[in-house]
Amino acid sequence: MAARFSAARVARQLTSFAVQRPSFFPSTCAHKTVAPLQRRLFAESAAAKERQYTEDHEWIDISLDGKTATLGISDYAAKALGDVVYIELPQVDMDISAGDAIGAVESVKSASDILTPISGKVTEVNSVLEEKPGSINKDPEGEGWIAKIAIEGEPEGKTMNKEEYTAFTEEA
Amino acid sequence: MATARRALSSFSEKLANPANMVQSYISRSNDPYLNLSIEHHILQKSPPDSVVLFLYTNRPCIVIGRNQNPWTEVNLGILNAATQGGRIPKDTEPPGIGHVDLVRRRSGGGAVFHDEGNVNWSITCPMADFTRDKYAEMVVRALRKLGIERARVNERHDIVLDQGHSKRNADPRDTHRTPYTVDDGTLPKPLKVSGSAYKLTRARALHHATTLLSSPNLHIIPQYLRSPAKPFIQARGVESVSSPVGNIGLEITAFQSRLQEEFASMYSKFGKQAVVEIVGDEHLKIPDIRKGYDELRTKDWMWSQTPQFTLTLHLSDDIAIDVNVHHGVIKAFDPKNGQSSTTTIDKVRSVVLDQKLQDIHDWHEFLKSHTIPWNQESAIIADLLEKFMPVPKLSKV
Repeated sequence: MAARFSAARVARQLTSFAVQRPSFFPSTCAHKTVAPLQRRLFAESAAAKERQYTEDHEWIDISLDGKTATLGISDYAAKALGDVVYIELPQVDMDISAGDAIGAVESVKSASDILTPISGKVTEVNSVLEEKPGSINKDPEGEGWIAKIAIEGEPEGKTMNKEEYTAFTEEA
Repeated sequence: MATARRALSSFSEKLANPANMVQSYISRSNDPYLNLSIEHHILQKSPPDSVVLFLYTNRPCIVIGRNQNPWTEVNLGILNAATQGGRIPKDTEPPGIGHVDLVRRRSGGGAVFHDEGNVNWSITCPMADFTRDKYAEMVVRALRKLGIERARVNERHDIVLDQGHSKRNADPRDTHRTPYTVDDGTLPKPLKVSGSAYKLTRARALHHATTLLSSPNLHIIPQYLRSPAKPFIQARGVESVSSPVGNIGLEITAFQSRLQEEFASMYSKFGKQAVVEIVGDEHLKIPDIRKGYDELRTKDWMWSQTPQFTLTLHLSDDIAIDVNVHHGVIKAFDPKNGQSSTTTIDKVRSVVLDQKLQDIHDWHEFLKSHTIPWNQESAIIADLLEKFMPVPKLSKV
């Protein structure tokens, strides 16, 4: 009963979030458009399925064999957060469950959680971000990836492809 | 007892009831860990579309931001004079205001000092409703209604009192400018009276801030927020931006009531009467609040959450050692730039490597108990570590 109540709550939050989303992130950015991704297509190392996005503005790439996922925050999120001054990365070997806050980003006196849409074990973190947090603003959907995760299942909750996500962020 | 429990469950129910779109609470407790945990509970449990005001005043404490380094931000040696084994560096005489708690909050931003002359206000609201300035502007409107016409919001989303001598034209509705605002970078500098920080989650935003109304400790705040270790530490994470501070000069209750009224009028469009209640120490019995409270008080959160840093110990004119700390654990203890090591340094290294800082409360005792040969060199190392990287015991209140 309690579980059902909380699931309903999350659903309600997601709904109200979707409706009100344009100002999800504070200040400036509601109108900025997402930078085109095409330029990075050849930089992707491992073969991956189509990139998925969450309503929390994370992206996730799942390898063709379905065993690893790479997670980051979207271009839209990075612009909206403003200058990132610190990124709290998850620890390698940490077990994580879908919906967990696995780290946090700090910008303009604000701590924002990084949520994982998928369960698994963290296998690698992008330690460049520890030294140069600002690099997440430069290339959030490429060099600014956050963590690689060993996975068994699929993402939980709603995910979108690039077009759907772009529409989601542009929708007034 | 039964009555108390009923009152508490009614707090949780009221807080989470979707019908309560506007809620307003004042805490009777002065425990910073409890107040921050009640606030966190509000962030997690209040209905997604609601707006909640929470006011509280803490006993003397220093509150650092989530991603800050307590060794560079805080003069740890004077926090708790009684438990420091009498080895307080002589150049930082304790100011004698008694015990001062050290707290790491969950939001971002810099280090601040709290005492009984400071009111903290916090707003939890939907993300869609949130900007970094919106609620600071609300507080400025409340202050101006109390006659504080020099109050405004600055570009860092903080509230300052302008100190300009001459009066110029300014729109009284403009919360970012007063008749006494001077051009950027010119004197006299405004005094900061309120500092903001934020925690953003899936659908909710928390904005909280201090408000210095009548602190008796203004003159010693800089002593607490100036660390002797700062010049010797290279740290990742977030550095504080220090500003001259001032008191607004208002009574706590007058400010609280005015702010509650301002908040209520801002949301009067919701039609329904706002929930207005007092909370206090008994709320620690609510399991979720207790959980948040215990988390904030762990050594892991206080010390090991610190972003990676390197402390340089200057043993002599010729020898310096870099001590690297990652997740609160000493990961390197090496002579700088390839200088040659000594037997004592090697011995200390073997003892401190992979050691959690949070478990060392007295460096002399710690090194001695690990049979470090006690000579001039080891005594200097212990002195420097005690001076620049102490781990004061957290209060057990």
